[in-house]
Amino acid sequence: MANIVRKQAVPAVGPSVRERLQAMDDSAVVTAFLGGEERAFSELVTRYQTRLLNFVYRTIGDREKAEDLVQEVFIRVYRHLHRFDRSKKFSTWVYTIASNLAKNELRNRSRNPLVLFQTVQKNFQDEERPLQFEDPTSRPDDMYRKRHLREIVEESVAKLPEHHRHVFVLRELEGKSYEEIAEITECNLGTVKSRLNRARNSFAEIIAPYVD
Amino acid sequence: MDCREFSDKHLAFVDDTLAGIELVRMQRHIAECEICAKQDAKIRRALLLFRNLPAIEPSEGFSDRLEARLQEAHHDDLFLATTTRNLKRGAVAATIASVAMLAYIGSTIYQTDQPRDLMMAPVVATATEPDFTPITTSTPAIVASAPAGLSIWPVALFAEEVPVRFAHSRFELAQLSR
Repeated sequence: MANIVRKQAVPAVGPSVRERLQAMDDSAVVTAFLGGEERAFSELVTRYQTRLLNFVYRTIGDREKAEDLVQEVFIRVYRHLHRFDRSKKFSTWVYTIASNLAKNELRNRSRNPLVLFQTVQKNFQDEERPLQFEDPTSRPDDMYRKRHLREIVEESVAKLPEHHRHVFVLRELEGKSYEEIAEITECNLGTVKSRLNRARNSFAEIIAPYVD
Repeated sequence: MDCREFSDKHLAFVDDTLAGIELVRMQRHIAECEICAKQDAKIRRALLLFRNLPAIEPSEGFSDRLEARLQEAHHDDLFLATTTRNLKRGAVAATIASVAMLAYIGSTIYQTDQPRDLMMAPVVATATEPDFTPITTSTPAIVASAPAGLSIWPVALFAEEVPVRFAHSRFELAQLSR
C-alpha cells in the first residue's frame, strides 16, 4: 500500500500490468484491487481524481478544500472498497461519497461563519494570483476576456441554491443520467428533474445580463 | 402545444430524450412562439458556457499528500486490526473463564441439593472465669478504718477535717522553727 499513488508515476510498475489495468473497466479494476493487486488503486485514483476535483470544486467553490475532500474520498474508497456492492456502478458510489462530503462541507460552512469568512478571504486573495487556467500562448487581452468569462460563469453557478447546484453540476459537468443523480443525491427521479429544470432556468437568468 | 407544456418538456428537449413526435411538436412550437424560442436559446447558450468551463487539475503536491494520507490510513487500519484481534482473544478468554465459573457455581448448587452429613463444630467444655472486680476506695481513711474496727461515720467526719488539721500542724511547726 505504501506507494499506491507514487507507483503510477514510477517506471518500476510493469507496463504490461499498467496497460492491462488501463484497459479494464471500473468493475474489473475494483476486482483486481480486492484480489490483492495494489496498483489497481492508483488506476482508480488516476481515473477519478480530476473528475472528482472538478465536481467538488464546482459544488463548494473552494479549490484547496476541494482537493482535501477528494483525498478524503479516496481514503474512504480505500478503506471501504471491500463493502462496495459490485452489482452497482463504481462511479456512482464514488460520486455519492464525494457528494456527501461536499454537502457536509457546505453545511459546516453555513454553521460556522469563520469558515465562510476564511473562504471568502481566500477567494479574494486568489484574485491576485497570476492567470492559471488559460493557455499561456494566448494574447493577453484574449486571456483576460476568457478569465473574466470564466469568473462570471463560476459566480453564476455559485449563486444557485445548494440542492439545485448539486444536481446541475452532476448533470451538466459530469454528464450523469437522471437515475444516477437520483441515486447519488438520494432523491427521487421527479425531484431530480424538477431541480435540474429550475437550476437551468435560474442559471440562464443569472448569466444572461453578462453574455447578451 | 402551449407554452406551459413546452416548459414542462423543455428538460427532455434539451437533453434530447423526447420521442420523435414530441420532438417535432416542440420544434414547431419554437418556430411559432418567439418567447419560448428566446428562452430556449438563452438556456442552451448558458449551458454551453458552463459545459465549456476549463477543467481544473490537481495541484502538484496532490499525489504526495494523498500517498501520505493513504499510508497513515493503512497504519491506522493495521493498528485497529491488531487491537480488534487482541480484544477478540481477550473476549474469548473471558468467555471461557465465565463459562468455567458458571459451571463451577452450577455444580456447587447442584451438590447442595444432595443430602449429606452435618458437620458440627466440636463441643469444648469451658469454666467461667471468676469475676475479680478490684476494690475501689475513695479515701485511705475508709480503708484504714475497717481493720481497725472503727465505724464509718466518724472516719468520714475525720476525713473532712483533714485539711484543717494539716493546716494547724503546719502552723505549729512554723512556731517551733522560730
